[in-house]
Amino acid sequence: MTSVLSTSSPEARETHVRRMPVPADPARGRRVAWTVCALVLLLLLHALAFRGTEIRPSLLVSGWSSMTGFLADAFPPDLSWNTTLRPALEATGVTLWIGLLGTTLSVPTAVVLAVLASRTTAPNRAVYQAARSVLSVLRAVPDIVFALIFVTAVGLGPFAGVLALICHNTGVMGKLWAEAMEEIDRGPQEALRSAGATRLQQVSGATIPMVVPQWSGLLLYRFDVNVRSSLVLGLVGAGGIGLLINRSIQDFRFDQMLTQILVVLVLIIVVDQVSAFIRRRLAV
Amino acid sequence: MVGQVLHSDVALSVRGLRKSFGAKRVLDGVDLDLRRGEVVSLLGANGSGKSTTLRCVMGLMPDDGGEITLSGRRIDTLSGAARGKALREAAMVFQKIHLVPRRTVLANVCAGGFARVGAWSSLSPALYPKDLQEEAMACLDRVGLADRAHDRAAGLSGGQQQRVAIARALCQRADVLLADEPVSALDPRAAEQVMALLHELAHAEHIAVAAVLHQPDLARRYTDRAVGLLGGRVLFTKAVDALTEDDLDTLYLPDRTDASADDVLRELTLEKVS
Repeated sequence: MTSVLSTSSPEARETHVRRMPVPADPARGRRVAWTVCALVLLLLLHALAFRGTEIRPSLLVSGWSSMTGFLADAFPPDLSWNTTLRPALEATGVTLWIGLLGTTLSVPTAVVLAVLASRTTAPNRAVYQAARSVLSVLRAVPDIVFALIFVTAVGLGPFAGVLALICHNTGVMGKLWAEAMEEIDRGPQEALRSAGATRLQQVSGATIPMVVPQWSGLLLYRFDVNVRSSLVLGLVGAGGIGLLINRSIQDFRFDQMLTQILVVLVLIIVVDQVSAFIRRRLAV
Repeated sequence: MVGQVLHSDVALSVRGLRKSFGAKRVLDGVDLDLRRGEVVSLLGANGSGKSTTLRCVMGLMPDDGGEITLSGRRIDTLSGAARGKALREAAMVFQKIHLVPRRTVLANVCAGGFARVGAWSSLSPALYPKDLQEEAMACLDRVGLADRAHDRAAGLSGGQQQRVAIARALCQRADVLLADEPVSALDPRAAEQVMALLHELAHAEHIAVAAVLHQPDLARRYTDRAVGLLGGRVLFTKAVDALTEDDLDTLYLPDRTDASADDVLRELTLEKVS
């Protein structure tokens, strides 16, 4: 067989290849029509978005000089220890603490809501739906809105930021954790059920220990995000380095602002690297 | 009550168990008796209803009817918590073993005794009561793995993990041990060890053991009776010594459809009559 093929020339084989006309695809016209409709719709939305956001590239060119002026004002950064660098470091510490507490203090609420909002662990359909709704609401309200609400209650300062992060992070982390529980192997939980364990025992004895690596990874990821969020929360008065950056801009002290931004940059990079390192270790 | 009529050695009795998945009838009136102190092998082709029988008994899937008597109590008439409590007399071992891989071997065995422990003290292995841990150690010793108590379950070989799962079942103090393909995921030597252990436990601890097996050879050497299932019905129940090649051929005829299963059963019934 192979010898026959190898001796026959390509041309000879070409004449022997069997061919068959491809039948017309009845769905083709409809598919093309849908694709065209979707593209037109997308283009229309973009045209509206361009008008709505007042995008005019010419402004970028004409305003170039003011931007360079702004940057010239910022350089060199003000590195005086007592007036700029030390307050910046201290405030960055506060930003880090807000992010840390906002993450860890939302763990208990996130655990409870995640267990109730996961299909595999929820006691019944009603509780499952209720818990999911609570998580959705907490997630839908941005942390900055929570911060504005809490500022009116507990006043300006880091405490309002911590409360805001707890609320929003419970919503996000609760959902991520619930989904992680739905994805793991249900076998051990079933084994405990068949041994007569209660629902709580099944969850604490099998489901949660099974899902610890995923939960820890998500927790670190949220810590990472929350530290960055707490920076923005500072801008609306919830303390930390965000507040100082805002003040520097208002005082036209762009050299101070640059120092503060550099300190923040270092914090973000360190947090990001540490969290990535720990997550890599956990994944093994 | 049926339980009083039954011989006291019968720990599990199933009568006329039925189960359908949609239009497909998986169990078509299964009868099964397990006596204390013996191992029964459940033999049959894929889809013959072996695992389904065990899972229905354990309440891991709902059945469509039939009598189930466990340790002298009718459990098919019970529901909810009452059935769950009665079912503590039956323990299950799975093909996929289902240990919690990150927990220690000892913590996994302790979980078998959760039904006897309060909610608070079963929250974390650090809170497990001392007597539960000591009982679990004794169960581990029974399966020959006391020296691995503090290892993570994931660090053990498949055969060792299945023995830990058996220790977990022992820690449940059950009368009946149902093993759903306990050796299908194991290498031949580990399979021998696990089957030898099940045989020994049944006889020494006076437990009723049923094991779904795909290896007739293991059934002959490590079990006392064989129950052959075909198309959701019990084709035969006999001592393993009496198991013939013909018996096995009828069970494992290739590409058997439900219709031909009916034919075989009809032929066999006719043979008996004539």
